[in-house]
Amino acid sequence: MNYDNNVKALIMLSLTEGYGARRKRYDSVDRACELYDDYSVADAMIGKMENAGVKVVTILDDAYPQKLRDIYDPPFTLYYKGDVGLLNESDSVAVVGTRKVSAYGKNIMSNFVPVFVKAGLTVISGLARGVDSIGHRICLENGGKTVAVVANGIDQCYPPENSELQNKISEQGLLISEYPLGVKPLQYHFPERNRIISALSRGVFIPEAGDRSGSLITADCAIEQGRDLFVVPGSIFSAQSVGCNKKIRDLQATITLSPQDVLDEMGLSCSKPHKRALQLDFNQQSVMNALGGESVHISELMVRSGMNTAQLSSVLTQLEIIGLIRKRQGNYYEAVPEL
Amino acid sequence: MLAKTKSYALNGVDGYEVAIEVDLNAGLPSYDTVGLADTAIKESKERVRSAIKNSLYTYPIRKITINLAPADTKKEGSHFDLAIALGILIANEEIESAVYKDFIILGELSLDGSLNHIRGVMPLIISAMQNGHKKFIIPSANAKEASYISGIEVYAFGKLAEAVKFLTGESCPEPLKTSEFVSVRSSNKYNVDFSEVKGQFVAKRALEIAVAGGHNVLMIGPPGAGKTMMAKCVPTIMPDMTFEEAIEVTKIHSVAGILDSSVGIVVNRPFRTPHHTATIPALMGGGANAKPGEISLAHNGVLFLDEMPEYQRRTLETLRQPLEDGVAVVSRSKHTLEYPARFMLVASMNPCPCGNLGSTTQECKCSPSEIHRYISKLSGPLLDRIDLQIEVDGISFDEFRSVQLNESSSAVKERVEKARGVQRERYKGSATKTNDEMSNAQVREYCRLDAEGEKLLKTAFTRLNLTARAGNRVLKVARTIADLDGSVNILPTHIAEAIQYRSLDRKYWD
Repeated sequence: MNYDNNVKALIMLSLTEGYGARRKRYDSVDRACELYDDYSVADAMIGKMENAGVKVVTILDDAYPQKLRDIYDPPFTLYYKGDVGLLNESDSVAVVGTRKVSAYGKNIMSNFVPVFVKAGLTVISGLARGVDSIGHRICLENGGKTVAVVANGIDQCYPPENSELQNKISEQGLLISEYPLGVKPLQYHFPERNRIISALSRGVFIPEAGDRSGSLITADCAIEQGRDLFVVPGSIFSAQSVGCNKKIRDLQATITLSPQDVLDEMGLSCSKPHKRALQLDFNQQSVMNALGGESVHISELMVRSGMNTAQLSSVLTQLEIIGLIRKRQGNYYEAVPEL
Repeated sequence: MLAKTKSYALNGVDGYEVAIEVDLNAGLPSYDTVGLADTAIKESKERVRSAIKNSLYTYPIRKITINLAPADTKKEGSHFDLAIALGILIANEEIESAVYKDFIILGELSLDGSLNHIRGVMPLIISAMQNGHKKFIIPSANAKEASYISGIEVYAFGKLAEAVKFLTGESCPEPLKTSEFVSVRSSNKYNVDFSEVKGQFVAKRALEIAVAGGHNVLMIGPPGAGKTMMAKCVPTIMPDMTFEEAIEVTKIHSVAGILDSSVGIVVNRPFRTPHHTATIPALMGGGANAKPGEISLAHNGVLFLDEMPEYQRRTLETLRQPLEDGVAVVSRSKHTLEYPARFMLVASMNPCPCGNLGSTTQECKCSPSEIHRYISKLSGPLLDRIDLQIEVDGISFDEFRSVQLNESSSAVKERVEKARGVQRERYKGSATKTNDEMSNAQVREYCRLDAEGEKLLKTAFTRLNLTARAGNRVLKVARTIADLDGSVNILPTHIAEAIQYRSLDRKYWD
């Protein structure tokens, strides 16, 4: 593929160290384009990109998304692999949050993300451990479109255990980065990357965030860029919910109790699944009654339902498969509320 | 003059005959041992001389040459002492009768002429017996052990002089009486019982299933949840060992030198808990004397690996082969030994390095990468061999009222034995003994599901995120549950219960 000299100049700029700070100094793209005379470095990079199947879209291109152009500090280059059309997808939601997800957070994810997908939202996230990877994964499992914005060159992988997921996203969705190939995930890249995540989305959804979670930077970017911020409240005693709860206390975010809250705000709808019309047998019903609305330990359930371990285990699996209850760590079970 | 006595040596748990040739020559007094003898045998020189002298016999002042045939095999151990001493006395014509020619002679000498306890009497005698030998002389300290073998004539002596008098015909003691295995077995005692475990109904039920089907188990739970306690109870619900099983175990323990000589046979199923710093030779067998390792000592019993991810990964991986074949192969520079190692693996681990992951009361302080590293110590192929993975919860039982009385081990054992009986009947004529050992073909034959069961399994895979390799495992466990239930067919409820015991497959830590 042939790139013109302006694009090559931007590629060379993105290759310099401290690129973020320099980019801000050349506030006009045109000035940045006049920086270099010799483009051999850029040519070498373009060769590498071709080998890796990576392309670039710059702020000079028409394909560059308007919503990104509008922010205070737009990235000049976006290296990508996958379906570049997803950049201009208007119905998109960023799903970000803590790297250490609790069972509560996982429950939120498995309840919300499939609905987002069903409503046609593109899920944008950062491929980090925890909420990010779970979001991508659930989205792909449900056949949705997902965009991963990473803080390193897209030939790198961080965290390493996500390499398979990263490949999948580049095939079935879109993998992008502001940084050229070979760039390591340096610490200061992450906050820089977060502004792109929020800018690409219509709203940022945070299921769980600790007190100093990086996702709160994304949240601040979202507020700055005029995007909606959706957070799910959590227990005041849970370290993984402190960030979310503080956003609510400071009146910066929309309290989100169900995926419908997010869809309503965006003017979308999702056909509700049919009301459960299930015929439970006697044992299943008595376990459901025994559960009530709380999460109950299996020993307590035995007492309440009067069944022995073998029967109860069997009934619990059946109910889990139907989707009426779920297992939590430490042999606790709870009914799945209808959101 | 030349004398030739017979003894036996061990190679693993199998023995071979060693002929001990003693020749007295003219020349400067000396004592030479040839035939690849190790240090312990070469040192017998001093023990033999003192023992003969202190038993008031004459030690020949001649050039003594001792050959251990076959001369090209390395021989180890001190149990040739007695055969050498008797050989010298015969060569010196202190013993004139030829009775000794029928005997396999085993025993270590003390300087005062008494006979010491030796390792490996049971396997030595059994393999000699299989090769047609009928008469044995052994130290009386090993008498108990030898007495369980019937159809042979064993004479046990406490002193060299007694053995000599027997061979010269000066005294005629009775051969050992055969001990009854059944009478010792009824007196077996474990010092733990299932009824002492409070609560933990799920874990107890899972252990019952595991023992009934010979499945391996992994218990996951916070520290102090009672994982070790429950593991210790596993042997108490296993079926009693048959005589053949007991002999197999005794042979190994005898070789390892850990047999209780006052009982002479292993009655209780072994329960071995190697520490997590254990090396590969300690676990698999080997070392200077190629002794059996922990997994062989756990043969027909339980191998308990506490805090499984704390073991070195390399060490854990070596378990894979024995778990499959039931044999530990110890390779030495010259030859390869095999020790039986058919054990039930019971392992335990914390959910994360600090142990509090998923706890409702305590906060987990581990980083995601720490947890990842902790869990990745257990490789997929190893986990593949562990059918049941259960959660043990850390809450104290006091928090719950109970309707179910805590059953004693013997009640559980009764059910287990019944289920094992069903399996024995089913696998008659094949090498398979328990559900765990089923081959793929057998799974297809014996684990057929009805349409409802198929549907349940299929939906379970998609709804509960079961990984693909869970398939056969769930079926095998479901087969055991059905056996416990006395059901010929695997019902959907059996499958549903089996799925409960696949914690790791359900992406426990994601």
